[in-house]
Amino acid sequence: MTKGKTLTMNGAGQAVGSDYAMALLLKFRTVLALVLVIAIFAALAPNFLTVANALIMLKHIAIVAILAIGMSFVILTGGIDLSVGSIAGLAGMVAGALIINGLPLTALGVVVYPSVPAVVGLVLLVGVGIGLFNGLLINRFQVAPFIATLGTLYMARGAAMLMSNGETFPNLIGNPALGNEGFSRIGAGLLLGIPAPVWLLAVIAAGAAFVAGSTTFGRRVYAVGGSERAALLSGVRVDRVKYAVYAISGAMAALVGVLIASDLVAAHPASGESFELNGIAAVVLGGASLTGGRGTIVGTLIGACVIGVLGDGMVMVGISEFWQMVIKGGVIVTAVVLDRLQERLG
Amino acid sequence: MKRLREMGLMALALVALAGCGHDAKQARLMVIITPSLDNPFFGQEAAGAEAKARELGYQTLKFSHGDDAFKQSELIDTAIARNASAIILDNAGAQSSVAAVQKARNSGIPVFLIDREIAARGIATAQIVSNNYQGAMLGAQAFAQAMGEKGPYVELVGKESDTNAAIRSKGFHEVLDQYPDLRMTARQSANWSQSEAFTKVQSILQAHPEIKGVIAGNDTMAMGAIAALQGAGRGDVAVVGFDGSNDVRDAISGGKAAATVLQPAWRQAQYAVELADKYLREGKTGQAEKLIMDCLLITRANAARLSNFALK
Repeated sequence: MTKGKTLTMNGAGQAVGSDYAMALLLKFRTVLALVLVIAIFAALAPNFLTVANALIMLKHIAIVAILAIGMSFVILTGGIDLSVGSIAGLAGMVAGALIINGLPLTALGVVVYPSVPAVVGLVLLVGVGIGLFNGLLINRFQVAPFIATLGTLYMARGAAMLMSNGETFPNLIGNPALGNEGFSRIGAGLLLGIPAPVWLLAVIAAGAAFVAGSTTFGRRVYAVGGSERAALLSGVRVDRVKYAVYAISGAMAALVGVLIASDLVAAHPASGESFELNGIAAVVLGGASLTGGRGTIVGTLIGACVIGVLGDGMVMVGISEFWQMVIKGGVIVTAVVLDRLQERLG
Repeated sequence: MKRLREMGLMALALVALAGCGHDAKQARLMVIITPSLDNPFFGQEAAGAEAKARELGYQTLKFSHGDDAFKQSELIDTAIARNASAIILDNAGAQSSVAAVQKARNSGIPVFLIDREIAARGIATAQIVSNNYQGAMLGAQAFAQAMGEKGPYVELVGKESDTNAAIRSKGFHEVLDQYPDLRMTARQSANWSQSEAFTKVQSILQAHPEIKGVIAGNDTMAMGAIAALQGAGRGDVAVVGFDGSNDVRDAISGGKAAATVLQPAWRQAQYAVELADKYLREGKTGQAEKLIMDCLLITRANAARLSNFALK
């Protein structure tokens, strides 16, 4: 078991991505935690085990999980991205501004109102841009990821506040005359009875698991995290890999910002505060190592489920806010301690 | 993490201060400190104080302490260092703000409290607070009527470290607990936050689909609840907020909320500046330290007259 685990999780071996069932088994502890959490709340909370509630929970999980999947790539390279919560906040505000105020093209003296898909595209570009800026600080200027992304955390949050002077962009329903309606469908829409964010999560998770497990790029991500020097010496363009992972993380964060703003039909500049910590917690719960090179997307997904189910379950049971914090912290610490114990024993 | 973030913000504020430092000696300075600038209530409060102070010929500086008593203390240090004439403060906690207000007083700077009181008399020059208890009872009365005086309901409480969260909750229950057929099935803190209220009400709706009403300790949480209820197609659930924001006003006009309670934030902030000006000129305010302003109920009947926390 331990041998298989090293093989799978180091990512250097051929087992990566080829056997999700195996990976699931290896994530036994987190799965167990998830099963346990679900069992406890099924017993305590009325209507917990219903399809409607499962869909609501999946929707909430999608917010954590999409962020955490982006974060996974960064953490696999041995980095960290603290700016994601602020990027989400800024992304929502950019979307809000584009829908309400449009895009002023001062050179031409006109204001363009982009359609909703264009809004989403522009917002994702903002996320990618901030991610590349993080990459620039880390690659070119050798700033430690913790500090570089801490800097962008402040800058992005400040920028979000500046966009509206701290106020909310309300009523993001668009205007049929401007052809920009339908923003609320991204977060609140349904396809075959399943909320749109859940579909998005499914597509992103499958894509990310494939990229991390079965592509050259994925191997390089693991290689950089395993040993940056070894990766460099064997010809991996480490800087490119780093640009790419921070760009992915930025894009995922921006998408989360869009989902939140769309769900609330309003963009608030303080949205996404401390989301980075939920994201990191999900990744670590999923069995990844903060020093890089070890972890899987499936693990992260399960980690995000634990955090999401725990959060919603405690609200449904009616546990007080203060206990919710204590319990959440306890679950994270316990899961990681178990993970380390098992590693030492193995 | 939060501390780090705030230290960064502080550093930025100091840089900004250094930048505009020289010409400050001419006009007298009023420092306005509120909990946040991204909540419309506090934003309008700060804007109201600033407008009045400028009108009376003062320079102004606006800060927010994010409900962190330590940061508030640092901001008061900044105000002292800048030799402010007066501080207008919406404080970060009844007990934890006493020392900071005392510090300003010891440096000869009068402090005028708005919105929230502190747990000591004779330190602040004035404490101008809304009657949150009376306001909460007004809101609860309207809520009971909107629910037809019966049925299960949810209470969303504000940040539990904030005195007003507890006072409003007590005011709600003072009224609601007298109706034997009104039953609270869930009570959660959503920390004054719209997105937190949104996800929590979604979950509560799953556990207790029978609910007929949501009473919220402020308007941003009420807006989060409305978004969750609308998303679930539950237009039948009565929602009552607290603050009198433009968002909830529009929800009331659109039939999505039953009522909210207006705290006259704009007027309160302006009055504090007027008193500060009088005190600086005459050496006294001519009023008792504690001034309590009553809240007003906003329903469909008067919603149209409400704008930026003032009733026209």
